[in-house]
Amino acid sequence: MAGRHRDLSDRDRERYLRQIPLVGEEGQENLLNASICIAGAGGLGCPAALYLAAAGVGHIRIVDDDVVSMSNLNRQVLYGEADIAKSKAGIAAEKIRSLDPGIQVEPRDVTLTEETVFPVTEGMDIVVDALDNYPARYLLNAVAQERGIPLVHAAVSGYFGQLLTVLPGRSACLQCAVPNPPAGNPPPVLGVTAGILGCMQAGEALRILLGDEPLAKDALVVWDGKTGSWEKIRVRRDPGCSACGRGKNNG
Amino acid sequence: MDDTIHVRTFARFRELFGDGLEIAVAAPATVRSVAAELARVNPAGARELLDGEGNLSKSVIVMVNRERVAGAGREDVPVHPGDEVAFYPPVAGG
Ligand SMILES: [Zn+2]
Repeated sequence: MAGRHRDLSDRDRERYLRQIPLVGEEGQENLLNASICIAGAGGLGCPAALYLAAAGVGHIRIVDDDVVSMSNLNRQVLYGEADIAKSKAGIAAEKIRSLDPGIQVEPRDVTLTEETVFPVTEGMDIVVDALDNYPARYLLNAVAQERGIPLVHAAVSGYFGQLLTVLPGRSACLQCAVPNPPAGNPPPVLGVTAGILGCMQAGEALRILLGDEPLAKDALVVWDGKTGSWEKIRVRRDPGCSACGRGKNNG
Repeated sequence: MDDTIHVRTFARFRELFGDGLEIAVAAPATVRSVAAELARVNPAGARELLDGEGNLSKSVIVMVNRERVAGAGREDVPVHPGDEVAFYPPVAGG
């Protein structure tokens, strides 16, 4: 946990009055002192950031190299038409700060590459994979493994979404779960699908910070918005995995 | 005596193929012949299940009796009457 320790203030006790009975004062303090990196401030990253901020996570780093465009607005709920052509990371940080000026919000307007992914995850307790492509997702997964940082992955398409929580050394990683990425163009996405999965990511991050077992450890938890059902697809650690197994030092 | 194979599908594949299917394939059956039978009865779904050469799309996650089958030889994994084969197409968007 970065920086100086923050104790619960009277303002915090009031702000989290309806939550402290669930998480405890110590749990709430854990949230206030936690640092989370949200990689991707799109359809998943917007709701994840909103709910993590509302829950009282004290330090949020928002990473995105893109600018807001009109076609983002059906699902990227931190932005409006006045934000078009502005930096997503910058606007998202501004909106989160306006919701809670007590949170340390750090926008990073960078593209995830082998060079940038290391500094971007520095000092983080959890990374949230809210990206939109597998090459960048795999980079983040590999660095989370290397640093030993839990990673909460989600992805969406249309009415469907998937969630996977990776605890390095203790669970299967993203590369084990999805060794071959789906091909094709950016899929259509219903805003609520991204909202549901982004909220689930926030929930997984909170579970980790509160010491609870994640729902999607060693399982792809799949949301089917057509039938309104959740399914768990069990995932095992692949001993030869290039990110978490014996394949990891072979480039 | 149960001589069919149970097929489970998830997400987009449930929409395309339905779920809880009971299909009959000639013995000796494999993951490949089960996928081929699904594709035969549902040509629209076939475009998302199989690649251009008629092989199972590489990204599709396959489980036989709830255990993942992966790697180059996964299409040749044998499937017996009463077994369950499940297919899930992972998603990418964010
Ligand atoms: Zn792995």
